[in-house]
Amino acid sequence: MSDIRKWFMKAHDKGKGNGNGSASKPENAAPTNTEPVPGGQENSGRRKTSKYFPAEKQKAKVEQGTAELPAKRKAQNDSIEKPSPLKKPSRADVDDDFVLPKSKNSVDVTRSKKLKSVSGRAVAQKAVDVYDSDEDDAKDLESPVKSGGRGRGGRGASVGPASGRGRGGGRGGFMNFGERKDPPHKGEKDVPEGAPDCLAGLTFVISGTLDSLEREEAEDLIKRFGGRVTGSVSKKTNYLLCDEDIGGRKSSKAKELGTTFLTEDGLFDMIRASNHGKSHSKEESKKSAVNIATSPPKKSPQKVEVKKLSKSPSKSVSSAKQRGQPIQHSSLTWTEKYRPKVPNEITGNQSLVNQLHNWLAHWNEQFLGTGSKGKGKKQNDTGAKKAILLSGTPGIGKTTSAKLVSQMLGFQTIEVNASDSRGKADASISKGIGGSNANSIKELVSNEALSVNMDRSKHPKTVLIMDEVDGMSAGDRGGIADLIASIKISKIPIICICNDRYSQKLKSLVNYCLLLSFRKPTKQQMAKRLMQVANAEGLQVNEIALEELAERVNGDMRMALNQLQYMSLSTSVIKYDDIRQRLLTSSKDEDISPFTAVDKLFGFNGGKLRMDERIDLSMSDPDLVPLLVQENYINYRPSSIGKDDSGMKRMKSIARAAESIGDGDIINVQIRRYRQWQLSQTASLSSCIIPAALLHGQRETLEQGERNFNRFGGWLGKNSTMSKNYRLLEDFHVHVLASRESSSGRETLRLDYLTALLKRLTNPLRDKPKDEAVKEVVEFMNAYSISQEDFDTVVELSKFQGHLNPLEGIPTAVKAALTRAYNEGSKTRMVRAADLVTLPGIKKAPKKRIAAILEPSDDILGEENGDTLPENEENASDTENLEDTTNGEKLQAELQSLNSRGIEVQMELKGTGNSSAKKGLVGRGKGGKGSAEKKGGRGSGAGAKRKR
Amino acid sequence: MLWVDKYRPKTLDQAMVHQDIALNLKKLVAEQDCPHLLFYGPSGSGKKTLIMALLRQIFGPSAEKVKVENRNWKIDAGNRTIDLELTTLSSTNHVELSPSDVGFQDRYIVQEIIKEMAKNRPIDTKGKKGYKVLVLNEVDKLSREAQHSLRRTMEKYSASCRLILCCNSSSKVTEAIRSRCLNIRINAPSEEQIIKVLEFIGKKEGLQLPSGFAARIAEKSNRSLRRAILSFETCRVQQYPFTSKQAIPPMDWEEYISEIATDIMKEQSPKRLFQVRGKVYELLVNCIPPEIVLKRLLHELLKKLDAELKHEVCHWAAYYEHRMRLGQKAIFHIEAFVAKFMSIYKAFLIATFG
Repeated sequence: MSDIRKWFMKAHDKGKGNGNGSASKPENAAPTNTEPVPGGQENSGRRKTSKYFPAEKQKAKVEQGTAELPAKRKAQNDSIEKPSPLKKPSRADVDDDFVLPKSKNSVDVTRSKKLKSVSGRAVAQKAVDVYDSDEDDAKDLESPVKSGGRGRGGRGASVGPASGRGRGGGRGGFMNFGERKDPPHKGEKDVPEGAPDCLAGLTFVISGTLDSLEREEAEDLIKRFGGRVTGSVSKKTNYLLCDEDIGGRKSSKAKELGTTFLTEDGLFDMIRASNHGKSHSKEESKKSAVNIATSPPKKSPQKVEVKKLSKSPSKSVSSAKQRGQPIQHSSLTWTEKYRPKVPNEITGNQSLVNQLHNWLAHWNEQFLGTGSKGKGKKQNDTGAKKAILLSGTPGIGKTTSAKLVSQMLGFQTIEVNASDSRGKADASISKGIGGSNANSIKELVSNEALSVNMDRSKHPKTVLIMDEVDGMSAGDRGGIADLIASIKISKIPIICICNDRYSQKLKSLVNYCLLLSFRKPTKQQMAKRLMQVANAEGLQVNEIALEELAERVNGDMRMALNQLQYMSLSTSVIKYDDIRQRLLTSSKDEDISPFTAVDKLFGFNGGKLRMDERIDLSMSDPDLVPLLVQENYINYRPSSIGKDDSGMKRMKSIARAAESIGDGDIINVQIRRYRQWQLSQTASLSSCIIPAALLHGQRETLEQGERNFNRFGGWLGKNSTMSKNYRLLEDFHVHVLASRESSSGRETLRLDYLTALLKRLTNPLRDKPKDEAVKEVVEFMNAYSISQEDFDTVVELSKFQGHLNPLEGIPTAVKAALTRAYNEGSKTRMVRAADLVTLPGIKKAPKKRIAAILEPSDDILGEENGDTLPENEENASDTENLEDTTNGEKLQAELQSLNSRGIEVQMELKGTGNSSAKKGLVGRGKGGKGSAEKKGGRGSGAGAKRKR
Repeated sequence: MLWVDKYRPKTLDQAMVHQDIALNLKKLVAEQDCPHLLFYGPSGSGKKTLIMALLRQIFGPSAEKVKVENRNWKIDAGNRTIDLELTTLSSTNHVELSPSDVGFQDRYIVQEIIKEMAKNRPIDTKGKKGYKVLVLNEVDKLSREAQHSLRRTMEKYSASCRLILCCNSSSKVTEAIRSRCLNIRINAPSEEQIIKVLEFIGKKEGLQLPSGFAARIAEKSNRSLRRAILSFETCRVQQYPFTSKQAIPPMDWEEYISEIATDIMKEQSPKRLFQVRGKVYELLVNCIPPEIVLKRLLHELLKKLDAELKHEVCHWAAYYEHRMRLGQKAIFHIEAFVAKFMSIYKAFLIATFG
C-alpha cells in the first residue's frame, strides 16, 4: 500500500471522524453505478447460470467460507469466480468485519495481518453497510460489480485491445494467419452482454474460422468474461470453440481428450444465459436466498450488530486503523519491496541463474587457485571465461540475479553502472587512487590482486558488477577497451550486464565473456509471481488479469509491478478490463515503430481507436508512417463495409483512400516548401488516418509468396533509383549536347531519342558480323560523344520489367570487343566534355558497370579476357591493357595444366581472399577448371593492384 | 549521326516546315533588335530548331560553337547557402539553360543567376548587337515564384539582354510573362508536311520508300516531326529494304503504358492495382516524366473506353494531373487516378452487365 492511500485515509479520518475515509471514493461511485441496474436482488438469480460452471464445488467452498473466514477470503482473493456466490460472502464478510472487533477480536487481527489490508472495495462496502438497510446493502454490493462488468463490457469493445498484439499473439499457425478466411457472417451478430466473470475458471481453445467473430474478438470476449484462452488443447481445456470441424490438430486432440466442442452461438448463449439469469425472475433470487440461508445461524445476529454498529462508528475506526497499520510500514516501492531475496525467487531463467552461480562459485578455483599450479592447462578450457555477460530486455532480473547470486556465495558486490564515469583509466594507478572516479575499475581490480597475493585464503571475496555496459557512451571514452583490459588482468570476477548483446559497441567485449542471455519469463510465470505480490498486498486480482498484465508489459517484471502498484492506488479489485484499459492508455507513451503504428491503425480494431490515439500513432513518425500506409493500404480488406461480393465497395474505398493519400502529399509540400508546420496534423489526418479509417481490417497478400506483413514503403527506394537514373541521364545528356549534334532537352532525349539510339547501338551488334558491327557502333558513339557509361545508361533506362533485356542476344565476345575498340579509340577521340578526358596514368575509380558489360563469354578465352579487362582498366592505360590481355592468355594456358589441382587453388584463394576476389572472380565458380583459370585472372589483377 | 540531327535545318532559310514563321523571324532580327520571344507548341514541332536557326541568324556561325558547362552556384538565401548545379550551354553571345532542372529551388536560379547573366553587357568591339540572348527551356515547368521573379528581370535588364523562352504550353506560363514577350506559336506539322520531310530524307539517303510507308509513319508519329524521323530511322535499322507492311516499332515506354492500360481494363481489383503500381514505378524509375505517363495512360484508356465514360474519366485525369503538380510524389496521384478509374469502370461494368 502506498503513501497516497495512507494520506487519503488520514485525511478522512480527520474530516469525517467515522474512520472509513477510503470509503468515500467507492461510495461515490456506487450510487451512480446503481442507477442503470435493475433491482439488486435479482442479481442473485445469476446463480442459476451455474450450469456452465464447475460450480458445485465452488459453492460448497463459499458456504464453507461463511463459516470460516480466512478460507473464504482466500476464495474471494483467488479469483472473483462468480458474482452470485461472491455476493453472499462479501456481504457476510462485511457483516463479519463489524462483528469481529467486538466478539472475535483476535481472529480479526490475525486475519488482517494475513491480508495486510482489506481492499478498498471491501472497505467501501462496509461503509455503505453502515448507513443502509440490509436490502440496500445487498444492492449496493452487487451493483458496482455488475455495472462495472457491463459498463466495461460495452465500452471495452469500443476501446478494443491493441490490435498489434492480436497479430503477434504467438499462437500456432502464426504464419498462416493471413490465409484464414473471413468469418462468413462477420459483424452480423450481436455480441451478447453477460454477467462479469461468467466464464471464470474455464479454459477455451479457439480453432478455425468462427461464424461471425474474428479470432481476436472472440479471444477478447472470453477474456473479458473471465475465461482463459490458450493456444493448444490440453487436459485443462474445457471447451474447444469452433464452428466448423476442420479436422486439424486441435480438434483431433480435443476428441482424444474428450474436450467439449462449443460453437460460437453456444458461447453467446452461455454468456447471454448468465445475464438472463440475472434479469429474470424473482424466484431464482428466492432460490438463492434459500441457498444463502444455509448459513443463517451466523447471519442474523450479525445483521443486528451491524445496526448497532452504525450508531457507534468509533469501533470501526479502530478496525480501520488496525488495517492501516500494515500499510504504513510499506513506503518502499513494490519493485524494491518484492525484489527476490533468494535466487530461487527469481522469476524465470532459473537455469541461467544456476549457470551464473556455478561460474561464480568456481571462479576462484579456476583463475586463482590453479594459477600457481598450471596455467597452461586451464587456458585451454574454453568454457572458462573470466567475465560473464548477462543480456536481456529491461526488467527481467539481470541485475537482481547477479546481486543475489554473489550475495549467496558470500561475495562482496561492487556495482559500477552508467551513473558512474567509466572512461578509460589512466595507465598509472597512483593517479587513480588520487581520487579520479574514472579509475575505480582499475583500482578495484588491482587492489584485489594485491590482497590476493598477500593472503589468498582470507581475502574478502569481491565481485565487480558492470551494469549497463552497452550504455558506455561519449563520456566513457575507451570504456569497453579498458574493460577488456581489466578483464584480462582481473583477479576478481566481473559480471557485465547489458540490454542488447548484439550492440556494435559490445562486439569486442563478447569474445571475453561467457554469454548468458536472459529470456523473458512466460506470462504464467509472471502471473504467478504477481499473484503472490497481489495477495501480499491484499489486492483482488484474478489470474487472467495478471496474465494480461504480464503480456502487456512485454515480460518486464519491474514495469508490471509498477503498474500493479499504481493501480492499487485507485482500486483494490483489478479485473481484466481494468488492466487492458490502463495499459492501453499507458502504452502509447512508449516508442512505437512505424510498423506497429500502421498495424494498429489498420488492425481490425483500428476503427475503434480514438481520434487522438490515431493522431498519436500517425505522428509517431510523420515521415515514415504515411509511406508505409501508402505502400500497404491496398492490402487491407476493409471490415467496415460489410458484405461486398463484387469488390465494388472495396474498390471505392481504395479510390477514396488513394485520393486522401494524394491530399496528404499536397499538404506535405505546403509544409516543407512553405514551412506551414501547423498543417502537420492535417497531413497525418489525410495521409494516414483517413485511409486507415476507410480500409482497416484484415490484411491479405496480393502476391504469391508474399509474407503477410506490412511492407516497407517502396517509395524511398524507387525515388533514389529514379534520381540516380536522372543523374545518369543528365550525364548522357551533357555528352550529347557537347557533341554539338543535338540540342534537345533531357526529356526529349529520353522520350524520343532513346528508342532510336538503343536500336542504333545494339541492333548492329546483334545482326552484323563482329568487326563491322563494332566499328559502326563505335563510330556512332563517337559522333554523339557517348561513353561506355552512357551506353550502359541507355540500356539501363530501356529495361522494363517483363520485357526482354535490350542486350539480349548479343554475344559477350562482341561486347568485349566493343569495349576494347572503344578504349583503343580513346586517344584519337575528340573530346568535348570535361569528364570524358582520359589521361594516361590517371586512374579512374573502378566502375562496376564496366565489369557488368564485360560478362564472361561462352568460351574460356573470352572469360579470361573479360576477367582481366576490368581489372586492368582500373590501373593501366590502353597499351598495357592489351599486353595484359595477352599475358592473361599465356597465363591461362599455363593454368590449364593446373586443372588437376584446381580445388587446392581455390582453397588458397579463399584463404587469401581480398576485395578483387569478391568482384565475382571466385563467385563465378565453374568447378575445378574454372577455379584454376580464375587464379590466372586474379593473379594479374592482383599484381596490377599492388602497383597502385 | 541520327537523321533527325543530320537533316535539321541550320538556318532560317532551310526550314522545311513553318517557313512563314521562319521568314517573319528573319525580318524581325533584320531590324537589329528583337523583343523577348516566347516559343510555344507541342514537342517535335520545331521550336528548338527555329531558335537555333534564329540565333545563327543574329550572331552568325559563332552561335553554333557552344560549350557545355556544368556549373555550380552558391547562393546566399537568407541564413543558409544553397548549392545549385546546372548545365549551361553557351556560346559567346548566348546562354541556354533549363532552370526547372533544379526543382523547386528554381527561383534562386532566376533571381540570382539569370539576373547576374543579364546584368553583364557583352563587350562588343564592333558596337553592334549590344545584347546577349538567354534561352530558357521549359519555362512552363518553372514554379510560380520563379516566374514572378522572372518578369522583373525581363523589364529591368531589357537593354542588355533578350530572353527567348521555350515551352510546350503557354497556359502554364503566367499572364505577366506572356504579355512581356512576343508569343510565337509553333504548330505541330501536319501529316502532309511530315511525309514531305520523310520523303526528302529518303531521297537524300537513297532509300526506296514503299508507297504509303511514310504516311504510316507520319500517322503513328502523333504529328511530331522528330518522332517521325526517329522512327523512320529505327525502321531503317531494323529492316531494309522496307516492306509496305513493315511494323513501325513503338516507343518502348508507350508500349509499356499501353500494357498497363490493358491490365487495368482487364481486371479491377486491389491486386491489379498493386501490379499497376509496380509498373508505374518502373516507368518513373526509367525517367519517364509522370505527366507524360498520366497523359499517355489516359490516351490509351480512352481508346478502349465506352463513350459515356469518357467525359468522366477525362475529368478525373485532369483533376489528378493538377494535384500531381501541386504535390511532390507523383506516384501517389497516378495511383489515385488508377484507383478512381477502376472504381468507376467497375461500377459501370456491374451496372451494365450485372
